Amino acid sequence: MVGSNVLTQRLLKLWLPLLLYGVFLLFPFAWMLIVSLKPDQLLLDTRRNPFALTSVTLNNYRYLLTETEFPRWIWNTMVVTVGATLLSLACSILIGYALGRFQFRGGNTIGIAIFLLYLVPPTLLFIPLSQIVAGFKLYNTYWSLILVYPTFLIPFASWLLMGYFRTISKELEDAALVDGATRLRAMTQIVLPLAIPGVLSAAIFCFTLSWNEFLYALVLMGSGDMKTVPVGVVSDLIKADVYFWGALMAAGILGSVPVAAAYAFLVDNYVSGLTAGATKG
Amino acid sequence: MFTSCLTVGAWESLMSVVTAKAEPDPGQQTAGRARARFWDREAPLAYLFMIPGLLILLLFMGYPFFLGIYLSLTDKMVGFADFSFVGLENYQLLLDDPVFHRTVANTLIYSFVTVPFKLVLGLGLALVLNQTFRFSRFVRAGLLLPWIVPTAISSLAWLMLFDSVLSPVSWVLKDWGVIQSNINFLGDRWNAISAICVANVWRGLPFFAISILAGLQAVAPELHEAAALDGANAWQRFVAVTLPTIRNIILITTLFSIIFTFSDFQLIYVLTKGGPASSTHVFGTYAYQTMGFSALGQAAAIALSMLPFLAIFAAILLREIRKED
Amino acid sequence: MTDPRATQLIDEAMKMRLSRRSVMRRASALGISAGALGGVLAATGHAKAAPKAAVFIQERVMNTLAATYFVPEGQTFFTQVAEDWASQNGVTITTDYIGWPDLQPRIAAAVEGGSGPDVIEMWDIWPYLYQEKMVPVQELAEKVSEQYGGFYEWVTKTASVDGQWYSIPHGSSSSAFAYRISLLEEAGIEDPKNNFPKTWEELFTLGKTLKEMGKPIGQALGQSLGDPPSFAYPYMWAYGGMEVEEDGTTPAINKPEFVEALQAFTQTWKDAFDETGLSWDDGANNRAFLSDQISMTLNGSSVYLAAVAAKAGESTLDYEVQVDPDDIWHAGYPEGPAGRYNVLGSRSYAAMNYSPNADAAVEFLDYFFSPEIFLPWLESQGGYIIPMAPGYADDEMYTGNPALAPYPEVSDYSRNRGYAGPANQKAAESSARYVVVNTFAQAIQSGDAAGAVGQAEAQLRRIYG
Repeated sequence: MVGSNVLTQRLLKLWLPLLLYGVFLLFPFAWMLIVSLKPDQLLLDTRRNPFALTSVTLNNYRYLLTETEFPRWIWNTMVVTVGATLLSLACSILIGYALGRFQFRGGNTIGIAIFLLYLVPPTLLFIPLSQIVAGFKLYNTYWSLILVYPTFLIPFASWLLMGYFRTISKELEDAALVDGATRLRAMTQIVLPLAIPGVLSAAIFCFTLSWNEFLYALVLMGSGDMKTVPVGVVSDLIKADVYFWGALMAAGILGSVPVAAAYAFLVDNYVSGLTAGATKG
Repeated sequence: MFTSCLTVGAWESLMSVVTAKAEPDPGQQTAGRARARFWDREAPLAYLFMIPGLLILLLFMGYPFFLGIYLSLTDKMVGFADFSFVGLENYQLLLDDPVFHRTVANTLIYSFVTVPFKLVLGLGLALVLNQTFRFSRFVRAGLLLPWIVPTAISSLAWLMLFDSVLSPVSWVLKDWGVIQSNINFLGDRWNAISAICVANVWRGLPFFAISILAGLQAVAPELHEAAALDGANAWQRFVAVTLPTIRNIILITTLFSIIFTFSDFQLIYVLTKGGPASSTHVFGTYAYQTMGFSALGQAAAIALSMLPFLAIFAAILLREIRKED
Repeated sequence: MTDPRATQLIDEAMKMRLSRRSVMRRASALGISAGALGGVLAATGHAKAAPKAAVFIQERVMNTLAATYFVPEGQTFFTQVAEDWASQNGVTITTDYIGWPDLQPRIAAAVEGGSGPDVIEMWDIWPYLYQEKMVPVQELAEKVSEQYGGFYEWVTKTASVDGQWYSIPHGSSSSAFAYRISLLEEAGIEDPKNNFPKTWEELFTLGKTLKEMGKPIGQALGQSLGDPPSFAYPYMWAYGGMEVEEDGTTPAINKPEFVEALQAFTQTWKDAFDETGLSWDDGANNRAFLSDQISMTLNGSSVYLAAVAAKAGESTLDYEVQVDPDDIWHAGYPEGPAGRYNVLGSRSYAAMNYSPNADAAVEFLDYFFSPEIFLPWLESQGGYIIPMAPGYADDEMYTGNPALAPYPEVSDYSRNRGYAGPANQKAAESSARYVVVNTFAQAIQSGDAAGAVGQAEAQLRRIYG
């Protein structure tokens, strides 16, 4: 009796909503997967159900990995993404901590200024940015994007972390300070570990947005073998008025599933582990 | 309102923990003064902390920002060295431009339809995912996928789904006899705006979920237990315990999502390029189209016209965020 | 460096006394690089050796930027040419190809930032937009023009800046009606190869029958720069509408004949066209045509070439082509009361002046436009790019296949964007704002042609006035 009640509860509160979310969020993704696995001759065959996969081919993946520079694009994207994420996180943790836990003159103003800079859209910024990047002789180098991406990552990441730092009780830190710990020590050893979930969601934010970015990557680093995945895929797999759907979608899958898997193995582990530790402690 | 289910004392102690707001009570006067001395010394450290981030932002964002404002007051064309100051002429042109009027309306509709959906659905998803269950990490990562797939590619997947002739959706529905002719997903203003909104909610929902999920991890289970002991039901516990903790994160995420949505470009560019008949332009696509004939000054004016709108939302939300300090 | 295939070809050519053209055709069949081909031609006495650049190249890395080719062989060929030239001159070269829509932001960033590709492909009237950052190449342009019998007027009007050359034109893809012979027969047209409707009105009447058969006419009228303008401008001109009068400032779109024709067209759109065309981009009609959803569409020869390749088992597409190329034929534009027109502008290659290698970039253009390189490059694309000058218009790649004959013919009746005014920045603005295309889309959506034309007139006044 009780068991089945718990089961019903579980079904209603967990599995049913998950199913609904899954259908909505994964439907287009499933379509991408289907297109990437479908043999060419069935792709636009209106005589069959478009969602049915009657036969499967890995040709699109083979094409992508051997006939295009896809592996190189992945590498470029990885370098830029990791670089920009680390840089942005370091800056954002410091800013978020200062804004969230320190009282100092001008703090609010700086916080708002950081935010306001964010209101300018990339469709406008790419022109002046290209001047700066060219001025520093960074055109078509990894550094161009590693230094430019933080401009749209730091504002949100530092605000998110500011919000997060504020939710963490000050008593623990104060106790440590009273015990004679330095401010820096209290920060790195007490507050930061508690803020890991926030830091990780900021990291996911930074990583994903850098991974996805198109316009800056196109104009600042879009030449030769320096292309990122989005730029390379769009310029090499759309030929004039012909779209290579299968390969495009295969690129979408290969360009996202490994990242999701990395999130699953690395990030989630930390989030649950550390939070559990924190709340127990 | 929710104090009805909690004793006043329990509520206050709860709030002081949740909001991390250590009100110095009379017994802690001395400690308070010691801390006050410490606050004084916080300032240099705080400024030090700001330096690296601000340096990057100022250099790569501050200069373009002010340059953008300046250019919007000129007749600068891409690739031409000579240009002159024209005052507010570019903005005046926009006031008489019917396409711009529609652009403003579209952007507002686009944001105000999608952001609430993303917020509510994202919050719901975060709450669902915050439970412990088997394979939770895979499910979490899996549901993040829409946000991870490069937009340049996922919008092409939507383009296929919304294709006017070969959309698999139309195709199946026709097969089932539900509809007679293809659905005109993108060939009609309102259809197109709805289609774009669906794709936007799809892509943006995981962003809310992941941000809020992080906030939920900071909710101490003890508080829930205490509230439950006081007889609060699940909804009351959510309102009294969970919501205050994640309030700031929700507000910040919402604020930034409004900005992202407002300045969105790629999704709409791939799906409609602002068509048909310029009826689905948003600020981003219209500014970009203007760059097609090199009118940098005009494009800057279009892009910067977003600022007043965004500043208003920002002011409202920032006040909310600050309220509790 | 001697390619054994090249040696073999030299032997062959000497023994069989092959013509220059045959040598080139053999060379491309054998996959001989362009550089080696130059050598072959020289050895067989057909040409002087391809010019060797002796420029001082300051930086040893160069970069070219062009739109992604529809015919992939052409892209491979260009890359090969660039690399051969680079190795002869002791530089390394990278060749970038990106989609048309992404080309302009790249150019804008490059010209404003002052660093970027050394050689850039320009589309139609873009030289008006970027002239200040392009190296003037008057002499070279005149030389190339002379070499090929003089640029056509439509080329000079669009790719030069009021007669001044900042880039070297190389022709353009063009458009014609691609249609299904069998479907037109079914709709009652006898011998459809020779009896395609001569006027827009006849065409629309035929379209009604075709739509009743479930195979409407497909026409993109969304906001994209390829297919939608190639219908909207010619139809407007055929009924007397124009963007501006000859003075280049007075809007000339609000002509009663055009308003009336547009009003009729709003009904025709429902009766004869696939109505979802309002959202089509440049690729949509290709897919619709080749997957047997529509009976005809205005397009470059890409539809036909894709069907041919698919039948030969070398499909360049990733979906099944359901149409036999033998069932596809082409026809030029129909005419209206005011005449028969098409819109056309030449693509061109420019050397950019911010480049530290600007001189070398011009040298490269000189090399590329020499007949030993340029003509095989065109051949490698099977005639997809129509000639910019009459000198090679009778080449077999243009005359060999009667199915494709209407494509090069369009240059006989084409006008520039911005007609009756000159092609210039204002015409570029009107084109980028889709003023003409949107007049059609607006009229279809509102059913009010006069209102749509009125709006367009106001917009044109703001642009040109």
